Amino acid sequence: MTIDTLPRLTRKDFVSDQTVRWCPGCGDYAILAQVQKVMPDLGVPKENIVFISGIGCSSRFPYYMNTYGVHSIHGRAPTLATGLKLANPELSVWVVTGDGDGLSIGGNHLVHTCRRNVDLNIILFNNRIYGLTKGQYSPTSPAGLRTKSSPMGAIEQALNPISVALAAEATFIARTVDVIQDHMGDVIQAAAAHKGVSFVEVFQNCVIFYDGAWEPFSDRGIRDDNNIYLEAGKPMVFGKNNDKGLIRTTAGFEVVTLGEQYSLADLAVHDVTSDTNAWMLSRLTYPMPMGVIYQVQRPTYNDLLWGQVAAAKTKAGASDLRALYNASDTWTVSDDGQPAQSGIKGEVPQEIDEAYFAEVMERVHANGDLIDLLSEMTIEDLDPQGPITVETSARMDNALSVMRQKDIGCLLVTSADRHLTGILTEHDLLTRVAGRVENLHEVTVAQFMTPRPTALPLDAPLVEALHLMSTQGFRHLPIVDAHNLPVGVISVRDVVRFLITAI
Amino acid sequence: MTEDQRPVVIQELESVVIRFAGDSGDGMQLTGTQFTNTAAIIGNDISTLPDYPAEIRAPAGTLAGVSGFQVHLSESDISTPGDAPDVLIAMNPAALKASLPDMQPGASIIINTDAFNKANLAKAGYENNPLHDGTLSNFRIYEVPVTTLNRNAVADVAGLSPKEINRSQNFFALGLVYWVYDRPLQSTIEWVNKRFKNKPEAIEANVRALRAGYYFGDTTEAFQVRYRIKPARLRAGHYRKISGNEAMALGLVTAAQKAGKPLFFGAYPITPASDILHALAPLRHFEVLTFQAEDEIAAMGATLGAAFGGVFAATGTSGPGVALKSEAMNLALMLELPMVIVNVQRGGPSTGLPTKVEQSDLLQVMFGRNGESPLPVLAPATPGECFDMAVEAFRLAMRAMAPVIILSDGFLANSSEPWPIPDPDAIPPIPVEHPTQSNGGDRFQPYRRDPVTLGRPWAIPGTPGLEHRVGGLEKSPDFGNVSYAAQDHQRMVNDRAAKVARLADIIPDQTVFGPEEGELLVVGWGGTYGAIHAAVAHAQNQGYAVAHAHIRYLNPFPRNLGYILQRYKRILVPELNMGQLSLLLRGRFVRDVISLNKVEGRPFKISEINKTITELMAGA
Ligand code: SF4
Repeated sequence: MTIDTLPRLTRKDFVSDQTVRWCPGCGDYAILAQVQKVMPDLGVPKENIVFISGIGCSSRFPYYMNTYGVHSIHGRAPTLATGLKLANPELSVWVVTGDGDGLSIGGNHLVHTCRRNVDLNIILFNNRIYGLTKGQYSPTSPAGLRTKSSPMGAIEQALNPISVALAAEATFIARTVDVIQDHMGDVIQAAAAHKGVSFVEVFQNCVIFYDGAWEPFSDRGIRDDNNIYLEAGKPMVFGKNNDKGLIRTTAGFEVVTLGEQYSLADLAVHDVTSDTNAWMLSRLTYPMPMGVIYQVQRPTYNDLLWGQVAAAKTKAGASDLRALYNASDTWTVSDDGQPAQSGIKGEVPQEIDEAYFAEVMERVHANGDLIDLLSEMTIEDLDPQGPITVETSARMDNALSVMRQKDIGCLLVTSADRHLTGILTEHDLLTRVAGRVENLHEVTVAQFMTPRPTALPLDAPLVEALHLMSTQGFRHLPIVDAHNLPVGVISVRDVVRFLITAI
Repeated sequence: MTEDQRPVVIQELESVVIRFAGDSGDGMQLTGTQFTNTAAIIGNDISTLPDYPAEIRAPAGTLAGVSGFQVHLSESDISTPGDAPDVLIAMNPAALKASLPDMQPGASIIINTDAFNKANLAKAGYENNPLHDGTLSNFRIYEVPVTTLNRNAVADVAGLSPKEINRSQNFFALGLVYWVYDRPLQSTIEWVNKRFKNKPEAIEANVRALRAGYYFGDTTEAFQVRYRIKPARLRAGHYRKISGNEAMALGLVTAAQKAGKPLFFGAYPITPASDILHALAPLRHFEVLTFQAEDEIAAMGATLGAAFGGVFAATGTSGPGVALKSEAMNLALMLELPMVIVNVQRGGPSTGLPTKVEQSDLLQVMFGRNGESPLPVLAPATPGECFDMAVEAFRLAMRAMAPVIILSDGFLANSSEPWPIPDPDAIPPIPVEHPTQSNGGDRFQPYRRDPVTLGRPWAIPGTPGLEHRVGGLEKSPDFGNVSYAAQDHQRMVNDRAAKVARLADIIPDQTVFGPEEGELLVVGWGGTYGAIHAAVAHAQNQGYAVAHAHIRYLNPFPRNLGYILQRYKRILVPELNMGQLSLLLRGRFVRDVISLNKVEGRPFKISEINKTITELMAGA
């Protein structure tokens, strides 16, 4: 739904069917009314708005808003809001908290939510007291405040919420007062419009436990002389008659009266993006800064997170669980009892002709001279081919393609340090691989080779090779040097070819 | 073979238990992991037990600083990292001293003699050098000056400081062990090349060290025998090596994918659960939203918020983290939202033994929250089962609309085993329904329950017309308005308990290994599976009528569990705690059980359980 096609909502659409249960005269009513009034103007479908609170008087707020809402646990509302916003960045998520909820038990979450710049709107109702638990001093109570838990006066330094938000790297920081309705409306609108975390402190009056805590800043008669209503890019002027202003000195802001000595042009201009400006304003109590104190643009956590998701998807392609499970060294175990599909159909080299070899050997034996000759000859005289080796960890598919390319009947297998550890022959392929192993790219030579093959040195008599071949049925013999490093291989074919010429 | 090679006998072994032990700075975890990877690739069945100090840098050379990695290789199906090492590689005196009590007489010990100087002996608390005072007379000792040999091998690699030279000595030891066990160096060399891609001198040093160790084995006269463990006779299939934390991460993302949902994982770093976060963080392309929170509470809160938003949400932590999360877990129970909470248990109480295994959080997750707070609890028995349980947990969470707890432990989390890789297409989808229409006319009723499951509708923000509020205050049935009315509270407490209990309708029946009735049933749960199974199998071979039941569903229990317990004269419950499942079984089934308890920060040995079984049977 685009904004244009949205049905026009009114304040009433945001009023829930629950009876509001704050004390009569509580500042919370005014805040609720103003928020309900502003909501229709945000341009956000009602179903996309969520209010999340913690515990305290203010935290009843979501029950009274006819939107989605969670009344969570003490201090933790920013954490739920963060998870929700990350899960669905389309939502407009609001956190309602108080000075106890947000700055005492939930101080940690407030700080970290601000620095992450999750696109949330946080409204902190500051009444400087614990209301729901009936009147203990809070982290914003002034030192010396006498309460049930501080009968001789609180002996703690109060926190300044605006300074905290600034130190916590919030990107939008503002202040308003419960009873100055239009001002509050503007501030809430600005907070909603800000992309990133928006922190709004509302001076809220608790009629029961700390009535008048903010009187100088809320009382109609005197407030305009005590508040400065900030406007970005405008000179900092204040007072009922706009007759006072702030000038910038090396020590900070100084209040001056406009007239003979100072004119509007002398006043400091509110630079909303300056953190020095914002820091000095946060420490100021006369006049009390109201409105947007600080606002800068920084990428939001939710955008960055989903940006990583998008980038990862572009790079890695569609999510593929099978690939994920296999993204590690894998191996296959074949089941001897069951014929599995062969991954190398028709690729196993043919059997060598046994009968032919026997016939040649018969003729050799029949020829006494030849036997003598062969006894004197060594394997070296046969000029064996150089070995073609693979390491034990080589993949079977690679080994087979080497055998195919070089058109050879066996591979010598070495350990990583090149020592002969095995031999992989046509016979191994026929008996251990064909019809049993499916995923040749996932298994290694080590699993299928014949380990510790009989090998001969180069200077071994040729008859020894012949003897082994005819009695053991070996079709290939590895040739190694004194260190068991392979130097060649001789095959039945080589020997037969030699014998045929010799005969 | 040629004659001028010295005769080295290669012996075939069925299985072997090897422990690498050294100072925590010696790289023993890395060494053990590399050895394990190679073994897995060759096709051995494996089970590992890393054992490292909680402090990243405990004082060098002391007992507190000893870091060990035990691996059990076998040609047959194995389920534990082994009771007693057959071979120990001791890089310093402290490593020797810490491991000796576990060693079998006759075992082999490869000792780095260079580290056996006065200072190190003193740090380990040895008054005399154990190499010379007869301490080791029962063992086969191989004295190898690893540091010196390694220094000689690596010394002339350009650009290495003396410290860096010594840092490669674990690779020398690894090379030597590779030779003894007839293993290829290749996968480790590949790993070194990948790991130190931009540091050619480190590649050179480590590869040289590895080869030097291997050649040393080949040339020295000391080693007369090499060993070979044949590939395991695993069931046919396609395998990889997996740890419990890895499996948990894969299971969580699989569940989300099977529901067509993003996975939100909110966590705060904590040993021994952090590796789940590490495994999930690189999976952004699966729409995995990992969120490293400011604390455990925030991790739980964010997980809750994400679940409210309609994604599959989970968190992972250990016992101390669960303590912090408890309040938010209770809120999740009240909001009735689906999510998964993984507790990788470690030794407690308090900070306890962060890197050691224990099963002492069972009662914590069952009862450690205020009010009547029943949550489903699952416990995988093996590292690979962490995958299945993660998927199962989401399935149950969806049905009951409740947070589901998975109890893993430090042993399962870090231990590795061969894992038959599942076919993702064979894993059933997890159906998810978000209502778009009101179930109650004008006013949507968020707490109107499904009559069968008692779950409530998962209506999510963004759905027009279903705007509703949920919260931690007690509420009325159906509409979910805040209510303190007596009958409403009673009803809601009943319903929340009943919907968890009704999960028993869909969980599998309890199975038993061994006779269906008889003298003794050994009941366990969680990571003790391997040890109990092996001990019971052994007892069965000894001729005893003993059975083993391993409970994966701790809340609710499988429907037939009570029946099974009646079928045996006696029940033995071994646990790595002081009797927590025992308490639950006694309370739930009014059946006495015999507890076998151990909290030493280490898994059960098969022999410990077997001994108890045989004693019980002898006295029967
Ligand atoms: S106690 Fe104070 S803050 Fe709470 S509702 Fe009453 S007036 Fe408002």
